[in-house]
Amino acid sequence: MAQPVKETKSYLEILGDTIKPNQLLFAIIISVAISLGGYNLGLWLLPSFASESMVPSYSLLIGIGGSVLSLLLCSALFKPKRILVEEETSSESMREVFEDLQLNPEEEWALIENDPITRKELEELGVLESFRSIGGESKK
Amino acid sequence: MSLLLTAMLFALLGAIVFSLIGLISGTDETAIMVPLTLLVILLGAPPAAVFSFFMAAVLAKHLTHAVPTALMGIPGDTTAVPLLDHATTLRRMGMPHIALRKMISGGIIGAFIALPTAVLLGQFLGQFADFFKSSTGIIFTLAAILIAYFSKGKWVSVLMIIPFAFFIKSLDLLSFTVLDKHLSISFFLGIAIGPIFADLLFATSSSAKKSIERDRPKEYHLAPETKSWKGYFPNPFKILTGRQQIFTSITTFISSLTFVFSPVGMTALMGEIVGSRTKGAYKKSTTSLTVMNGVTESTYIAEVIIPLIAFGIPLSPVALGPGSPLFNAPPVFTVDPINNLHTYLTSWDFFLYGAIGLIIASLIAYPFSMNYARKASVIVLKFVSQEAIVAMFIGLACLLAFHEAQLVGIVLTFTVAAVGGLLNRILGIGAGVQFMVFYASSWIILTLFGI
Repeated sequence: MAQPVKETKSYLEILGDTIKPNQLLFAIIISVAISLGGYNLGLWLLPSFASESMVPSYSLLIGIGGSVLSLLLCSALFKPKRILVEEETSSESMREVFEDLQLNPEEEWALIENDPITRKELEELGVLESFRSIGGESKK
Repeated sequence: MSLLLTAMLFALLGAIVFSLIGLISGTDETAIMVPLTLLVILLGAPPAAVFSFFMAAVLAKHLTHAVPTALMGIPGDTTAVPLLDHATTLRRMGMPHIALRKMISGGIIGAFIALPTAVLLGQFLGQFADFFKSSTGIIFTLAAILIAYFSKGKWVSVLMIIPFAFFIKSLDLLSFTVLDKHLSISFFLGIAIGPIFADLLFATSSSAKKSIERDRPKEYHLAPETKSWKGYFPNPFKILTGRQQIFTSITTFISSLTFVFSPVGMTALMGEIVGSRTKGAYKKSTTSLTVMNGVTESTYIAEVIIPLIAFGIPLSPVALGPGSPLFNAPPVFTVDPINNLHTYLTSWDFFLYGAIGLIIASLIAYPFSMNYARKASVIVLKFVSQEAIVAMFIGLACLLAFHEAQLVGIVLTFTVAAVGGLLNRILGIGAGVQFMVFYASSWIILTLFGI
């Protein structure tokens, strides 16, 4: 599906994520139609071969099946509108983080160095070096 | 034996479904737990299996909702909001996977401490159950006032108790005139999907639309995958330091006892207490995250179990929200008279079937989020659109309302959703307050007007 680029303000935020209004409208129509349709189809067809007391439950199950089907169908019809950005962290950005959070890297390093448990943990995780690089070197 | 097997199967179902739902960020707890739990109950699952399903669902969802919280810095749902700061710190330091591992290890420990604690406390409080049962109307009303005062809206929530009760009772009378039976699923589905529906209403209003208009799609920053560990099932105790284990155990034990407070509030409080006693950004963040996720889990579980065992009436924020179908799902479960899990299960049953739920959820969701967190979130973000998710929940709500009361049910659900949702979104009168008022409405109107 081609994404119109020129158009502005064409997205709406529903429950914390962006959607296209028209597509949402169609998705809701599809979903309601399939789940209620499935339910009523069950109520209509099932009495001929299922025991009467189970008809509402089975119909409900068909309706739920319909909702799940609509999830798959709508996901296929209407692609997600999200931008995924993959992030990398370098020691440079690490320094930035400490500045942003108003933390002192030397202090942080001193605390890590004097705490064998944390030190060992960071070492096993392979990130001890990045702490050393921002907090340790200035002492030398 | 077959009941045990049924319970296990339902727990498995809950664990799988909610492991996937947890990956969808920003999902509203109540809006999702309520319809799906209702379905399981209405489909005729035995009470024990319903409980196993619910416990598995809660734990699985919380274990996987740590994934968006840690990897993308957006809360998996409202209960994850207090964890965001610490998770963001670690994510920016390039260690989101460590944040994730600490969180879910803490969550597992919290869950298994909460279960026995809550069962014992519930049994103890059960002595006073007769008093509670004989005066439910006034208790609901007092609880509504209390919860209202502590909701986001504060005074407006208190002010709106009587009008909202009046509103509910009017709808009840009208629908009773049409159908000759009292509805309840349609009512609390309406309250539950209120926030989603309010957004949809904004979208269709040419004046309110501006507040939710965006000129480009939302951006998600996903942290890169870093070193993994050996094996498939990492030991949660090895992931935490001794100090973190002790802190988590103590705080989750305490929070299992304080079942009337909101899980978000307890999480923030305990995180603050422990965090302020820990030095160094790395240690502070990891320890706080461990403790906080443990506390969320234990408060959550205790808030469902204690009122279920002791009273059979929903007297905690979680029991009123996500856990409400366990108390009230007519015609299967009802609150007045009390005929729900409280009546069907003994304390031992609660422990046994709760443990089944928690163990199965741990076996599924824990290794899943440890090993496949990143891949799974990429798949969800790339292939499942928000349109489809919102549409599915609207469809489910229609289905359940129609099941209870055909067209009247649907109209009633969306009427309640419109009023409740706007009160919730604009004025901060939370779903918990609305549920409480719903339960209290009969007594309030009876006392005020004699009907």
